[in-house]
Amino acid sequence: MSLPEIWAFKHEGRGIGIRHHQLILPSVVCSTVVSRRIAQEVGGITFAHQHGCAIIGVDVSGIDDFFIALASHPNVGSVLVVGLGCETTQGNELTEKITKLTKSTEYLVIQESGGVEGTVATGAAAARELAITYSHFPYPLEELVVGIELSRDVEIEPLLTELTHEGIKYVIISEAGGSAKHFSMLMSQKVQLIISFPDGNQPPSGFPLIPVINVASDSPLHQAISGEFDLQFEATAKEMVAKIISTADHTKTISEQNQSGEILVPRLVRSV
Amino acid sequence: MSNSTSPLLGYPRPDGRWGFRNHILILPLHQALSTAARDIADATPGAVAISHDWSGEIEKDFERISKTFAGFAGNPNIFTTVVLTIGTEVEAGIIERAKKFSPTPLVEVKLSDAGSMFKLVTSALEKAGELAEKAAAESRVPAPWSSVVLGLECGGSDAYSGITANPALGVASDRLVEFGATSILAETMEILGAEHLLAARALDPKVGAQIIEVVARYERSINYEGIDIRGAQPSRGNIEGGLSTLEEKSLGAAKKAGNAPFTGVLEYADRPTAPGLYFMDTPGHDIEQLTGFAAADVNITVFTTGRGTPTGSAVIPTIKVATNSEMGLVLTDLIDINAGTISDGTQTLEEVGQIIFDEIVRVANGHLTKAEHGKHHEFNLSRLYGSTL
Amino acid sequence: MRPVSSPTGQRKILFLNPKDNIAVCLADINAGEKISQDGREISAVEAIPRGHKIATADIAKGDGIIKYGERMGHATKSIATGSHVHTHNVLGDRLSTESA
Repeated sequence: MSLPEIWAFKHEGRGIGIRHHQLILPSVVCSTVVSRRIAQEVGGITFAHQHGCAIIGVDVSGIDDFFIALASHPNVGSVLVVGLGCETTQGNELTEKITKLTKSTEYLVIQESGGVEGTVATGAAAARELAITYSHFPYPLEELVVGIELSRDVEIEPLLTELTHEGIKYVIISEAGGSAKHFSMLMSQKVQLIISFPDGNQPPSGFPLIPVINVASDSPLHQAISGEFDLQFEATAKEMVAKIISTADHTKTISEQNQSGEILVPRLVRSV
Repeated sequence: MSNSTSPLLGYPRPDGRWGFRNHILILPLHQALSTAARDIADATPGAVAISHDWSGEIEKDFERISKTFAGFAGNPNIFTTVVLTIGTEVEAGIIERAKKFSPTPLVEVKLSDAGSMFKLVTSALEKAGELAEKAAAESRVPAPWSSVVLGLECGGSDAYSGITANPALGVASDRLVEFGATSILAETMEILGAEHLLAARALDPKVGAQIIEVVARYERSINYEGIDIRGAQPSRGNIEGGLSTLEEKSLGAAKKAGNAPFTGVLEYADRPTAPGLYFMDTPGHDIEQLTGFAAADVNITVFTTGRGTPTGSAVIPTIKVATNSEMGLVLTDLIDINAGTISDGTQTLEEVGQIIFDEIVRVANGHLTKAEHGKHHEFNLSRLYGSTL
Repeated sequence: MRPVSSPTGQRKILFLNPKDNIAVCLADINAGEKISQDGREISAVEAIPRGHKIATADIAKGDGIIKYGERMGHATKSIATGSHVHTHNVLGDRLSTESA
């Protein structure tokens, strides 16, 4: 009998990833549109956010730390940081902090790259250069850390037992707040995959970089859109683990197919 | 000149407001619908979309968020808004509120009714397509000067902002206000240190007191956090550009509002009710300000910048004015007007003020700004309590 | 109508208001450079980048820095005429924590 294994990527400085994403990371809201254009050209992942400027107090280092966690996530193969130039979260300093931890990170600045079109062209070229081809290798399930996101009451013990039985590690988040907040917390803990149990009044959601398996409840909303869930509410712990293993082994989740889900960047202080 | 006939052409709305664009807005009321909204807008000529990170939470900022969505959906530059929802009570409340603001009936597409994301997109695409055809068939008609609700904005300021682009914009704003238009100055952080000068220009002493109080309230909220704002304000870019203190930045920023008297003070995202010059309490954050403007009926914005910034709004045409030629002549794909000629000594403030005024008319009448060409549709929810529940 | 000002021409520095104790440099100024303009003479004691401020009077520690005729902060050390006036010797009066 052979041990179950997954095919994954060893991302230097980042860890064993079950995906091989290139992250186009806008260091400030003002570079999010340019980042999206670069990402579209090179097939990278990006997200819109409203941070990086007009931030004060703990948020200055907090947002830096969050971006560093995103950029050094195991599912990321390379990162292109795109800054504007005059913001609080400086792209070059952020990049320096990321490169201390990882390889394959580069940055560019709109105000020094000839504006929008210049940055898109330079950025797409830089991103292509950065995108090292990693081969994937078989790894034991012990390399997998699954995030369990609980936004509703779920009898979770059977799943935990089953995961332990397979040798899969996990992190559970069940505190106040919705899925988006929980996803961000789990990302910072470097989970490669998330299984989510959203509140009955919330839709399934995704997180760029991390595959999210959504499990339906028997709520009227979830039943009305049951096809949007990867697993139905009757799913057994064994079925959940089977889904986790197949997802880790490259089967795309529904939110990955839809590319749905924004990133909620934790923020403690008001905008100034 | 004060009796000049308006050359403006716009779209009259049933409630008396005017639009200078006739957009179909695809508005997702849940972050999980943001990608769908973008896809629908990308596939529908004449449609624009926004995205955000809100999941329908009733957080401390809910009232502010609800007001922002409702006002934004009803901006006069929009022909109709197609609202994408999950189908919750919270969303229904926002839609009710939006209906009061919206010049034309809103169209709602619920995920719970559609049954799947695919069907939601298909249904919304069909509706947006029909609406876009109707919107495109409408013609512009002559509009009075009072149709203009001008937003005054600056971002990435430098030491030239206060001596070139901002006072030149002040010339244009003053002329529009004199003709009966509305103009809104904002960014509370960026009048701190200049509020006494603005208060002295209030038409009513009560308005002057309100201007002083809005800034004092802001100062208290920052002091309450116990935070030293140096490092954020002036920002590093401001400091590199030669600005040393917040007050210096403010004295320059306030010049965008020219010399006209102040008619009133507005809370964030609140609409002006009569023509004149207003101050709105917003963060200095460029996009939170622009989003607040859109929710408050602003139909055109002039945005001065020293360092150069590409940002814009899905619903408001945003004219970028460079404060210096060093940047203005280089970052040409994001700058509409270079006011650096004033410090170069080749044009006067009044000449550049006239150029800005003429550009406002040209853009109002349909000429696309650089930010519109680049599809800079940034949108941000302004929160006073952070985003972590 | 408002008075029409004339273009500033190729000025090196810009005096904004008679009450000011600073002027704005419209070009990079070299250390030791003598500027003779608008009937006034100033020698830069150090290099000052364009956009930055030059002291047009001696400013004592704690005195206000006046720009556009308004107070924009205060001197944290004494500033001699012709010096670069910026964050190293100026602090805003409000919303900033003064280090002793």
